Amino acid sequence: MQGRLSAWLVKHGLIHRSLGFDYQGIETLQIKPEAWHSIAVILYVYGYNYLRSQCAYDVAPGGLLASVYHLTRIECGIDQPEEVCIKVFVQGKILGIPSIFWVWKSADFQERESYDMLGISYYNHPRLKRILMPESWIGWPLRKDYIAPNFYEIQDAH
Amino acid sequence: MNSIEFPLRDRTTQNSVISTTLNELSNWSRLSSLWPLLYGTSCCFIEFASLIGSRFDFDRYGLVPRSSPRQADLILTAGTVTMKMAPSLVRLYEQMPEPKYVIAIGACTITGGMFSTDSYSTVRGVDKLIPVDVYLPGCPPKPEAVIDAITKLRKKISREIYEKQIRSQRENKNRFFTTNHKFHVGRSTQTGNYDQGFFFQPPSTSEISLTHFSNIKKRVQYPPTK
Repeated sequence: MQGRLSAWLVKHGLIHRSLGFDYQGIETLQIKPEAWHSIAVILYVYGYNYLRSQCAYDVAPGGLLASVYHLTRIECGIDQPEEVCIKVFVQGKILGIPSIFWVWKSADFQERESYDMLGISYYNHPRLKRILMPESWIGWPLRKDYIAPNFYEIQDAH
Repeated sequence: MNSIEFPLRDRTTQNSVISTTLNELSNWSRLSSLWPLLYGTSCCFIEFASLIGSRFDFDRYGLVPRSSPRQADLILTAGTVTMKMAPSLVRLYEQMPEPKYVIAIGACTITGGMFSTDSYSTVRGVDKLIPVDVYLPGCPPKPEAVIDAITKLRKKISREIYEKQIRSQRENKNRFFTTNHKFHVGRSTQTGNYDQGFFFQPPSTSEISLTHFSNIKKRVQYPPTK
């Protein structure tokens, strides 16, 4: 079963993989990290003018990391706007996804949080640094293979 | 009858004498003007803030909330304290003049609360950073419970003998002290600039907190300033 955006992308010869639909029936696509920036621009031109959320998760310990984007097409006089979910997977070692800050400005802090928690480095981001953890923190706390340090403050209370 | 007149004024008392000690007088004056620092990091502060209002009115205990640690005698650590907040909390505590008191409000500041199992960043109990006088459990405690904790602290202050307090503080000096983390001060991979006209760029504080942690070790007890 092919979604609307997937059919449109196929028509224009743009490489992607359809991951089906989520529980709300929103189309989910996988896009390669090297193609993501150009496809993001194309999607913006197509009409997805609102980045509803950007998040990231760890697929498996030491394995792939996923960066997820929920896009919405906001138009006047429409009560059921078009939505799409984009997933970009990166290998734990390479860790490079183009930043979409220059397409949707609201990705700024959310990409910084994804960098902070999972260590996905978004290149071309204007100021990619830790946002929640102290800047001197070592490691990426939300990775599944993260081992918490045994600081005195973190040891159990007596 | 609700007389506005102060009843003691009518009483004809001559040569009245109150016998007390200087120590008790200073204790009494200190416990009746405990000024708390306005310090709150999450939901416990909502309960604490309702104390400031007219319903639970804690001004009647002489508690006047202060926004500067230099004017505060008491800090109520309301809310979760994370590793990132810990240097700031210790710094605020250090900036308060002696004698100073700490009430740990809520489960988070006693043991880490619901963050005590799997969190990588929550400090498990604020007593690992600063000495606590009264522990007040609850998630969050009711305003009445905060008043109860303040009453208990007032009792504690009323029994205080100043020389003993100094001595016990010297003995317990190592009870609160933060280990040197040896955090690696790393530069970010990319430090591009935002448009300077639109974004305020705060000065980096990571170096300050590091030196601060090592200073606590060498800390000597300074003479009382109040």
